[in-house]
Amino acid sequence: MASMASEGLTVTQRDQLMVEQEVGKIYTHFSELPPSSKSILLELQRDEHLEYLTRGLGILPPSFASLDANRPWLCYWILHSIALLDEYIEPEMEDAVVDFLSLCQDPGGGYGGGPGQMPHLATTYAAVNSLITLGGSRSLSSIDRGSLYMFFMKMKQPNGGYRMHDGGEVDVRACYTAISVASSLNLLDDELVQDVGSFILSCQTYEGGIAGEPGSEAHGGYTFCGLATMILIDEVDRLDLPRLVDWLVFRQGVECGFQGRTNKLVDGCYSFWQGGTLTLLESLHQLFHGNGLSDSSQSDASELSGDEAHATHDHSCSGHGLENTTSSINLRDTSYNFIQGRRKGGPLFDSLALQQYILLCSQLWDGGLRDKPGKNRDFYHTCYCLSGLSASQYSTSKDFDSVPLPQAVLGPYSNLTEPVHPLHNVLLSKYHDARDHFAIH
Amino acid sequence: MHGRPRKPSKPENAAASAAKAEKLCLLQSQFLSNHHNRIYTKEALEANAKLLEINPEYYTAWNFRKLAVQHYVSEAGSDPQAIKSVYDEELRVVEAALRQNFKSYGAWHHRKWVLSKGHSSLDQELRLLDKLQQLDSRNFLTWNYRRFLTELLNRSVEDELMHTEDMIGTNFSNYSAWHNRSMLLCKQLKAKDTGLKSKDILSKEYELVQNAIFTDPDDQSGWFYHLWLIDQTIKAKPPILTASWPSNGSELIISRKQCPGEHPLYEYQGLNIDLKEFPVILYFNQAVSGVSSSTVNVESFNIMWKPLSPCNSLGSEIWMAYLNLAGEDCHFEGPVSVELCIGQSQGILSSSGSPYSKPMHIAFTVTTEAIRLQDSGGHNPDMMSWEDPNFCADEVDPRVLNSDVPFIEEIKENKESTISEWQKDTICREIAGFRDLLSIKDYKIGKLTLARLLMADDALSYPYGNVSVHSCEVLELLKDLTKSDPTHSRYYEDHISLVLLQQLTSSEEMLRRHLFCFKGANSLSVHKPLCLRLNNLSLTCLGSFNKLLGVQMLDLSNNELQSIEGLEAMQLLSCLNLSKNKLGSFTALEPLRHLSSLKALNVSDNEIGSHSIDTRRYLFSSPLSHNESVKWDPNLVPSDAANPTNYWEAIMLFKALKLTQLDIIGNEVVDDRFSSFLVKIMPSLVFLDGQKLV
Repeated sequence: MASMASEGLTVTQRDQLMVEQEVGKIYTHFSELPPSSKSILLELQRDEHLEYLTRGLGILPPSFASLDANRPWLCYWILHSIALLDEYIEPEMEDAVVDFLSLCQDPGGGYGGGPGQMPHLATTYAAVNSLITLGGSRSLSSIDRGSLYMFFMKMKQPNGGYRMHDGGEVDVRACYTAISVASSLNLLDDELVQDVGSFILSCQTYEGGIAGEPGSEAHGGYTFCGLATMILIDEVDRLDLPRLVDWLVFRQGVECGFQGRTNKLVDGCYSFWQGGTLTLLESLHQLFHGNGLSDSSQSDASELSGDEAHATHDHSCSGHGLENTTSSINLRDTSYNFIQGRRKGGPLFDSLALQQYILLCSQLWDGGLRDKPGKNRDFYHTCYCLSGLSASQYSTSKDFDSVPLPQAVLGPYSNLTEPVHPLHNVLLSKYHDARDHFAIH
Repeated sequence: MHGRPRKPSKPENAAASAAKAEKLCLLQSQFLSNHHNRIYTKEALEANAKLLEINPEYYTAWNFRKLAVQHYVSEAGSDPQAIKSVYDEELRVVEAALRQNFKSYGAWHHRKWVLSKGHSSLDQELRLLDKLQQLDSRNFLTWNYRRFLTELLNRSVEDELMHTEDMIGTNFSNYSAWHNRSMLLCKQLKAKDTGLKSKDILSKEYELVQNAIFTDPDDQSGWFYHLWLIDQTIKAKPPILTASWPSNGSELIISRKQCPGEHPLYEYQGLNIDLKEFPVILYFNQAVSGVSSSTVNVESFNIMWKPLSPCNSLGSEIWMAYLNLAGEDCHFEGPVSVELCIGQSQGILSSSGSPYSKPMHIAFTVTTEAIRLQDSGGHNPDMMSWEDPNFCADEVDPRVLNSDVPFIEEIKENKESTISEWQKDTICREIAGFRDLLSIKDYKIGKLTLARLLMADDALSYPYGNVSVHSCEVLELLKDLTKSDPTHSRYYEDHISLVLLQQLTSSEEMLRRHLFCFKGANSLSVHKPLCLRLNNLSLTCLGSFNKLLGVQMLDLSNNELQSIEGLEAMQLLSCLNLSKNKLGSFTALEPLRHLSSLKALNVSDNEIGSHSIDTRRYLFSSPLSHNESVKWDPNLVPSDAANPTNYWEAIMLFKALKLTQLDIIGNEVVDDRFSSFLVKIMPSLVFLDGQKLV
């Protein structure tokens, strides 16, 4: 170990220092500017981002070949980013995307990474979220829910986890994508949920975060997936939540952005994976409300004109109570209930600081967002930086869809992005449309 | 989903790039047609390999190869050489793919699949892995593969420890290496048959991590690992019972006050007590499960043990049961002897599965003394006032001063420590080491670690909390930190509160300074109630409840309390003063729901209703997560209430209590409407904010 001292900085420390210097330079420069220039620098470059994103929906350069097995992801990253910016794509393009995703849909259920490819849970999530983001009857009806359910059942493992695809790996990602899609499409039932909680629980590490598989290291992306899954299946109180909070709050560093794991570099995409997870935690008590007082505590007292409340209550009893008397929770409502209550927990992270990192360090002036200064933009980072921006702008609002106060939004108020459903990461309005659509079907 | 490598794009002319794309398109359509037609010819496999070399993420192509392999293996029959070469070809393709993108889930998964078939030589695997780990020492797919491979190779834990040591040697900031090390050690600590003792395993680790920390105290990885290591060292193994109420050998005297022609009233230490629900409390040093009438037997009583403060279904530190001392006619004559046999039969387990292994008896008696009253004035409660003149230090009953403080109900026998020599040595050595480090330079994390070590030393040496050697030093360190690191002052202040309380309760002498005789109410009581006054101490949170199980009257006013977590342990609490604190919501008062004896509560001058956001909620084990439903009448809540949640939360809290007196004035939430609402939901209430209700 003597060698440690002689070598000076470790590679990790050197890299960290370089990032800190780079980010520090940006912030120092920023702090020395007059207020007018500051507010210009903090502007979200909507038009440039939109141009970059819209180009992505057309023909991509050959350098995108490595994403050939992830084409629904490209759709989702781009469509969701555009939606966050409150823009729409041309109707012809919308139809083209629906048609393309239909080609990716496997006759046996689920979506593959491209036409003819095997169905895969991650690309299924991307495809379904894309279709929900597009919205409309044509888009939503293109999803074959019956066969999708069969696909989920085929991927389900005896240990509670899910397999990514036939013969594929079993991890927390697979659990989240399956449960999230099942929930959005009103397919979630006891069978899909069986033992999932125990699998996720086995992935929470001594640090408090959640790893991809048992024995692995706590990781931002998996932590989001794990927590969101536990909320959706109504087993979140099985996790060691104080420890989880403890791990998460220390992932926001001096750069103001989040790192994904202990002693790693900051990365813009964790603005969503970690920041979004923290906004989930801030709202968790609503879930606790959901147990005892059920519907009543969540709605205004003024809405409690006796009949209506009773009707809702009776409905949930007959729907679920018969086969499962111990649980008063209807799995089909967990996601909806989560966003109904008032958000009262909070703030667990410095949301203005995070917005500062996203706008000053991740944002490129000619469009697109990136991991950190010095890196290239890409659609993945654009999507998750913007999703993180939305999560932090709304993190202090009382309700999930109420408009944030101007002081909650860094930079001009026109920076405000659209509110998202924090469990599925699709626009809240689109989630509601989909919920209405699939409640009937 | 994330972390696709970004190859530096070489300046390529458009034509070459287009040609490449065309080639890829061709490969893809070829592949898909082969896949759907189940064509597994050599040419098909070659085309597939080329495709995967360019794009290892193409998981469908990996599955095609699995099918093809099955086809060729069945064709090869029982020729081991032929089978091996089929699988070797797979390893080659995966390797080529990994060189292109070692973050590909599909490629690693395919490799695991091939190796698990057991036909390949594993010699090359570690070398390949080492090479890739050099490229990115924190990639979790390679670390996952490493753990898989180690299992398959049956590689010894020692060899793997050596590997992490090498990795740490190259870059001691690599937390993945430290993490893998902790996983390996856990395995070693669990495998008891290796003959290695925790002592031998852990001592070496301290040396290693000290090297890293002392080399560069500014790097965080070492500190995190050190924290884990302390945790492993001091982890309490078998659970022990640290306190009970009543304690072993105690003789409780209950006063029976009777007026002619009326039902008698029962008092303990001058305060009313419910004979049907006479509490018995067990306090363990860690959360346990399995406390039941078979593991804790109480002769001739039919009892049900229930956990207090449930936490993540891991069990509870505190368990309680009610004895019904009242006879059929609700009279109690006594004396009655009660004997608890704890741990005679197996079943009490810690959250890590260690069984409780110290069978013990707790015996106590309850007797009565009769007090005859002339009139029934004593039946109506008086309003009690927390004003200072009502408390008197020198009038504390001499019986109390000369004997034990009545609520210090600790385990008096067998108080020997369960710490082993090496644990003690290790902690002492670490303490000395960090004192050295701090004498060179002032590191806040070093100070915090030293404070943690000192606290751990006290907790280990004196698990019953009867001595706290280091508390002064710890308090000083924490106060320093509060100043030098104001960002985290709240964290330090919480710890200061806990250490302070530990210090206060560590000896009867210390505790007596906070004992007062209450003479403000119920002049007809024979005994003056005793009050523990922990006011004006800047407490931000509470602890050391094991020393305070029998407290009936508690004054916590003028502190900085934002939380009263843990207070549910004080089951005899009858009068509680929480005024002038920083309690921000009704959910912060949730522990009170479990205090069925509580009669007089003062929460005046707090911040209930001042915060639009409530940061306490998710830190609670379960704010409102109980499944019991409260019967409520929606009309109770005014339809135009600005914040109906406050009303609902008040219902949840106060419906569970039988308060006769409540002081709540001086909170944002209180207005006339809220007061009349409170009166409606608490029929038992006699006094509200100093006014007698009519």
